[in-house]
Amino acid sequence: MSKPIIDIRNISKVYQMGSQLVHALRDITVSINQNEYVALMGPSGSGKSTLMNILGCLDTPSSGTYFFNNTNVRELNDNELAEIRNREIGFVFQTFNLLPRASALKNIELPLVYSGVKKYDRIEKAEAALKSVGLEDRMEHKPNELSGGQRQRVAIARALVTSPSIILADEPTGNLDSKTGEDIMRLFQNLWESGNTIILVTHEEEIALHAKRIIRLRDGLIESDELNHNQVNFN
Amino acid sequence: MNLFESIRMAIHSIFIHKLRSFLTLLSVAIGVFAIMGSGSLVSSFDETVETEMANLGENSFKISRTPSVQTGRDSWRKYRRRERIDFKQYSKLKDKIEDLAFVSVESNQSNMIIKYSEFETDPDVTLQGTNEVYFNINDRDVPIGRSITEADVEFDRNVAVIGNDVYNKLFNGINPIGKNIKIGNQKFEVIGVLDEKGAILGKSQDNQVIIPITRFNKYYSNWWESLDISVKAFNKESFPYVLDETIGALRTLRSDQPGDDNSFEIETNESITQQFSGLTGYLTYFGLLAGFFALAAAGVGITNIMLVAIKERTREIGLRKALGARRFWITMQFLVETMTITLIGGLIGISLGFIMSSVISYFLGLKVSIPMDWIIISISITTVLGLISGLYPAFRAASLDPIDALRYE
Repeated sequence: MSKPIIDIRNISKVYQMGSQLVHALRDITVSINQNEYVALMGPSGSGKSTLMNILGCLDTPSSGTYFFNNTNVRELNDNELAEIRNREIGFVFQTFNLLPRASALKNIELPLVYSGVKKYDRIEKAEAALKSVGLEDRMEHKPNELSGGQRQRVAIARALVTSPSIILADEPTGNLDSKTGEDIMRLFQNLWESGNTIILVTHEEEIALHAKRIIRLRDGLIESDELNHNQVNFN
Repeated sequence: MNLFESIRMAIHSIFIHKLRSFLTLLSVAIGVFAIMGSGSLVSSFDETVETEMANLGENSFKISRTPSVQTGRDSWRKYRRRERIDFKQYSKLKDKIEDLAFVSVESNQSNMIIKYSEFETDPDVTLQGTNEVYFNINDRDVPIGRSITEADVEFDRNVAVIGNDVYNKLFNGINPIGKNIKIGNQKFEVIGVLDEKGAILGKSQDNQVIIPITRFNKYYSNWWESLDISVKAFNKESFPYVLDETIGALRTLRSDQPGDDNSFEIETNESITQQFSGLTGYLTYFGLLAGFFALAAAGVGITNIMLVAIKERTREIGLRKALGARRFWITMQFLVETMTITLIGGLIGISLGFIMSSVISYFLGLKVSIPMDWIIISISITTVLGLISGLYPAFRAASLDPIDALRYE
């Protein structure tokens, strides 16, 4: 068994909401290995979003330890968190979050700009990423000239371009019709099969069934964490 | 990520938000226009005064009843009681310092008509009475014919040296020497033509006729008119001594009491320049003040516009942070954006200000020069303005929480 990329031990997250303390996460322990395909499930208020934010290094836990590739995330400052997000994590959002006035290629280049890659290398990598999602003929298109599915593909290409350790997808099919959603799920499967580690956050059972492992959360606790024996396979 | 990328992104975003950028740009341009316009206008004015008005030459000074530039309401009251400088005072002064300096005397009548046979000039010629050293002190040549001599003055001869404009109007290519012209009812023989000088402050220096002061006083001067005296020391070393002697002699001649101020003005190149800068100082001050108020208003406007822009782009900022933009780069992005807009506005203001001052200078007959100092001042002010008004919005943007920012609708 390889060393886990994500190693979370006994983490909790407590928010102050007015005079009340809200326990979004209570004593969670999870580890995720390389090339796993994990679905994170739960109804709203289950702590799923909080866990995703912590996994994505957008937030830090109140207590417990989080090792990302052997780095203790709790000890990192703002800039170090930004750097880990930049290099190690590829985000895919429900609403795509593309820059509306920038071309597909420019959108994909953005994380490389922040990691200081030279212009020539940037374009080369962005073109390769766009090709891997099958949109090499849409390089100069702006988001509003692309369909929803195409936009999400651009967003996935942007997540891939830095060759991150994990791809963190938050309801990636939430804004798509079921046919297009299926295409996107097929793309995730291909990425997983070619060696990527994928964490899928969703509240839809159907979508979660594409993953190899399903973690269910409820009231800030892990309800179940088991392998999915009914994985939907496109091949 | 480097500065170049920031600037590129900033320019991109400026083009996206055209109207907003234009309004910001305009407010900065107006402020800079006021500063640059008044500044460079004053520069041209000062330069003109320095190079053309203050043309007394080295080791020279000028004596007159009142200063050549008068500012303030009380000046008329202050000077009106002063006794005029008359020919007798001039003669006595000349006797006293003749061995140390050239002494010339001048008196003018403007708006004269000069006639030659059936030709006549417009009523705009300046008639000047003076003596033989005027040409030396004022650095004027008489390339055709001769200038006025001591004997011409002493014997009150009816001879005249004419300026180039008058020559062109009346003689048009004919040799004027020995011809008779008429000034009023008096006949004069033309003995020379002055070299061409061009215009100062829009007034031609060639539209004049020079005659001996003695003749001038007899026919063209009113009894109350005061004379101007110019003195040029023979050398630099004797200049302070000549100045002292002159002041002493004049005070005695004009019976100024010990302890009283001089009842006349002594002007050197330096003092003339100084008097003008006193006058132009007001204009600079006013331009700066107006510009600063306009820019202060612009600054508040820019801060406000940038805060709105950041609010609108909250999700974009959240996304950039999620993708790994450090605080520093978010700060830079918005700061550079603000500064780029203000600098473009500043450059427009500088251009418009310079164009305006050049046009005005042209019509006033001032020298048009590129005022580097005011360009540098304007650019510095604009840079500081962009920095100050952009810093707070940029910090606000950089310190947004990425989770909240991404969720922002």
